[in-house]
Amino acid sequence: MSLDRRTFLKRTGAAGAAAFIASRLPAPGAASAQDMTVRPDPAAKRGGTLRYAVHNAPAHFDVHQSGTVANIGPQSPMYDTLLRRSPKDGQTIIPDLAQRWEISPDGKKYTFYLRKGVKFHDGADFTADDVKATYDRIAHPPKGVVIPRTPLFSTVGEIVVIDPHKIEFRLTESRPKAYMLGAFASGWNIIVRKKTLEENQGNLRQVMNYPGTGPFRHVARRDKEVWHMERNPDYWNKGLPLVDKLDVYHMFPFSPELGSSFLSGKVDYARLLDPVSWRKAKEMPGVTAAAFNQSVIQAFWTNMQKNKALADPRVRRAIHLAMDRHTLVEVVKDTAPMQVGGFVYPFHEMSTPRAELEKKLGYQKDIKPAVQEARKLMQAAGYGQGLKNLDFVVRDIATFKLWAVAIQAMLKEHLNIESNLRVVQTSVWFDEAQAGNFDLAISAIVSTLMDPSDIFSAWYGKDGPQNYSRWTNPVFHDIANQVERELDDNKRRMLVRKAEDILENDPPLIPVSYEQIYDAWYNKVHGQNPSTYFGIYDVVRWDNVWLA
Amino acid sequence: MRKYLARRAVYAAVTLLGVSLSIFVILRILPGDPLVAILGVEGHARMTPADRVRIMADLGLSDPLPLQYVHWLRDIAAGRLGKSFFRGDTVSELIAHRGPISAEIGVLALFVSWLVGLPVGILSAFKPNSVPDGVARALSILFIAVPGFWLGMLIVLASLFWFGYKAPIVIVHLWENPWQNFQIVIGPALVLGLAQGAYISRMSRSCLLEVIGEDFVRTARAKGLREGIVVMRHALPNALLPVVTISGVLLGFVLGGSVAVEQAFGVPGLGRALVIAVIERDIIVVQNLVLLYAVIFVVVNVLVDLSYAWLDPRIRYG
Repeated sequence: MSLDRRTFLKRTGAAGAAAFIASRLPAPGAASAQDMTVRPDPAAKRGGTLRYAVHNAPAHFDVHQSGTVANIGPQSPMYDTLLRRSPKDGQTIIPDLAQRWEISPDGKKYTFYLRKGVKFHDGADFTADDVKATYDRIAHPPKGVVIPRTPLFSTVGEIVVIDPHKIEFRLTESRPKAYMLGAFASGWNIIVRKKTLEENQGNLRQVMNYPGTGPFRHVARRDKEVWHMERNPDYWNKGLPLVDKLDVYHMFPFSPELGSSFLSGKVDYARLLDPVSWRKAKEMPGVTAAAFNQSVIQAFWTNMQKNKALADPRVRRAIHLAMDRHTLVEVVKDTAPMQVGGFVYPFHEMSTPRAELEKKLGYQKDIKPAVQEARKLMQAAGYGQGLKNLDFVVRDIATFKLWAVAIQAMLKEHLNIESNLRVVQTSVWFDEAQAGNFDLAISAIVSTLMDPSDIFSAWYGKDGPQNYSRWTNPVFHDIANQVERELDDNKRRMLVRKAEDILENDPPLIPVSYEQIYDAWYNKVHGQNPSTYFGIYDVVRWDNVWLA
Repeated sequence: MRKYLARRAVYAAVTLLGVSLSIFVILRILPGDPLVAILGVEGHARMTPADRVRIMADLGLSDPLPLQYVHWLRDIAAGRLGKSFFRGDTVSELIAHRGPISAEIGVLALFVSWLVGLPVGILSAFKPNSVPDGVARALSILFIAVPGFWLGMLIVLASLFWFGYKAPIVIVHLWENPWQNFQIVIGPALVLGLAQGAYISRMSRSCLLEVIGEDFVRTARAKGLREGIVVMRHALPNALLPVVTISGVLLGFVLGGSVAVEQAFGVPGLGRALVIAVIERDIIVVQNLVLLYAVIFVVVNVLVDLSYAWLDPRIRYG
C-alpha cells in the first residue's frame, strides 16, 4: 500500500486530533466516575428560591441515627459525603469530599484523597480527622447511639489518618467493591465535625444546627412547617449551588395536603406524592412527573416460633403461591404506587429478570396453577383442611389495611386459612413483631443499599433485625455469606439466583410488592430527574438544581 | 360574688387536676413506642435493650409513674410546660407560635355561629312552620350532621380543582400579613362556625318560641310597638340565656373539632400540632396541649356563668 505525503499528513493529523479529544473524554469503567465531580450546567441560571416539599418533620436531628427521609429531606443539603451518587442517573458513584480513591488489589484497603480548602459552615477546616470521627461513630457507635448503617461497615477494622487529606479504611476481610463504594456513597453517611461530636458526647439527636460542609446553610426552622436554607457562599465546589435559597416544607407523604400544595403551585417540587395527585400533576401543562424505585419491600411475616403450621416451609410456600400479586398492586393503586417482585429487588441486576419472574408460580397474572400447587402443598403438609384463628397484625396505614383485607380473603378462598385482623399503630406493630406476638404481620421494611448482601443480612439473616419470622435456613445463610464475600460479579449473580430459589421454596416472609416513589416538579426546576434513581436517600443535595 | 368566684376556682382546680391525671394515665397505658418515631423503623429494629434503657432515661420516661406525674405538675406550677422530647422545642414556644392561629379560628367560628345562627333562629321563631323556617331547619340539621373534617376536605378540593387555590401553607400571623392570615383561618372558622351556628339557630328558635308566647310580649305588641322592637328589646334578651349557655359548651366542640378541621385544611395550628404529637407519641406535647384545651374550656364556662348576671339582672351570685 502506497502512502503519499499529503495522505500521511492528513492521517497523522486526524489521529492526533482523535487522541487529543479522547484524552479529554472521561475514561470508561469504574475509574471514570472519579473524574465526575458535579459541575454546574453551563446553561444554568443562578438565583431564586426552590420550594421543596418532602415528608413530615424529623423526630430528631441526628442524620446518622435516622432511618427516615424526614431527616435526609431537609438536612442533606447542608452536608457532604465522602462519595456520592451522580444526580444525572442516581447510580454512578462519583467523588464528593474525597476527590479520588484507591482500592488495594486484595480489596482490603480503601484510600481516600480528600479535598483541600473545604470549610465547615462555622469556618473550621475540613480534615481527615473529621472523616475518621464520623466513620468511627458510624462503624462503632458509642453507647446509646443506634446507627442503622453500622452493619455496612462491619468489616472496617481500622480507620487510619495518613495526613490531613488522606485517610485509609482497613478492612478485616474484603467485600465486593460495589457494596463498599455504595456504602461510602450512601446519603446517610454525612461528614460531621470531630469537634461537634466531642462537644455533644457523640449524640446529635437534639442538636438542630450542627455545621456541615454542604452547599446550603441553615437560616431558620419552624417546627413541623418549614426549614429555610441559604446558599453557602464558601462552598468548595465553585459555582454551586445554583439557587440562592432552599425552603424545605414538611408534609406527610401521600397526603392530600402535599398533593394540593403542589397542584396549587405553593411548592416547586414535591416528593412522595399520592397517586391521585401525581396523575393529576402528570396531566398539567408545565409539570413533569416521574416514578422511580424505592428501597422498600412490602411484605407479611409468618411467625414460625409461635405457630407450628407456619414453621413448615410447605405451608409458607403455599401462602406465598396463594397471593394474587397483580391484584394486590391494583388494590392500592390510588393510595401508593407499587410493583410486583420477589425476594430480591426486582429491578436489581442480579435478581431474576422481571419477564422470567412473571413466568414463575406466584407471580403470574393467571393464578390458577399457583393456587393448585399451593393446595397440594397444604395437603402434603397435613393442613388440607386449612388453618383457623390466625392473628393477623396490621400496621395502621392505609395500604396495609387495604392489603390485609384482600390477603385475608385470598387465604380463605385459596387455602381455607382463616385469620383475624388486628390493626395497630405503627410503633405497636414493631413492638408486637419484635416480641413475636402475631401469626401473620404485614408492614414494610427498608434497606440502605440495593445490593443483595444488605437485604440478605438485614431481612433474612439469622439474627437480622428485620427477620420478624425468626426464619433460619443454614444453606441460605451459607450462600449469603458467600455472596457477601464474592468479588466476581458473575459468580455473585449465580449465588444470588441460588439464594432466590431457596427463598422461593422456604419463604422467610411473603413478598407483597415493591414500592415506587412519585415525584413531580414544575418545569422551571432544572437539573434533577429521579427517574433512574434508587430510593430517596442518596441524591438529595439540590446543589446542581436551577430555576428558570 | 367573691365567695362564688372562690368556689368556682376550687371546682375548676379539682376538674383540671382530674383531667391532668386522666391524660397522664391514658398516655402511659396506651400501647406504642415513641422510640419508633425517634429512631425510625430501621434504627428501632437494630436497637439493643441497653440502648433502650439509656434513651428512655434521657427522655425522662424511666422514672416511676407517680414521680413522673409529680414532676409534671411541679413544672406546670413553675410555668414550665416542658419540651418536645424529639426536637427539643419547648411546648411554650409551640403554643406561642401556633396558639394565635387556633385562637383566631375559635373566636371567628364563635362569631360566625352567632352571626348565622341567631338571625336564622329569630326568622324561624317569628315565622314558624313557614317555608323559610323549613329551609332553615333543614340546613341546621345538615350542618349538624355533616362532619367538619369532611366538609373541610370538600372545600379544600373544590377550591383547588375549580380555582387552583390553596391557602398559605405556613403560619402567617395577623400582625405579619392580615390578608394571608385571613386566608388561613377563614376556611376552618366557617366550617366550625356553621356547625355551631346550626345549634345556635335551633336553640334560639325554641327559646324565642317560648318567650314570644309570654304575657309581656303580648303586652308589648298591644302597646303598638313595632315588631323589630318587640323582638330586639323584649323577646331576645329573655331568650338569650340558654343560647349563651350553649355557646360555652359549643366552644368545647370548636376546640375538639378544630383538631380534625385544622388537619383537613392543613392549617398549622395547635389542633394539627396535637395530631402530629399523637402520631409521634410525643407524650410531653400531647399532655400539655390537652391540658391547655381543658383549661380553656373550664375558664370559658366560668365566664359564661358570670355573664348570666350581666344578661339577667335578677340573677345574683352569693
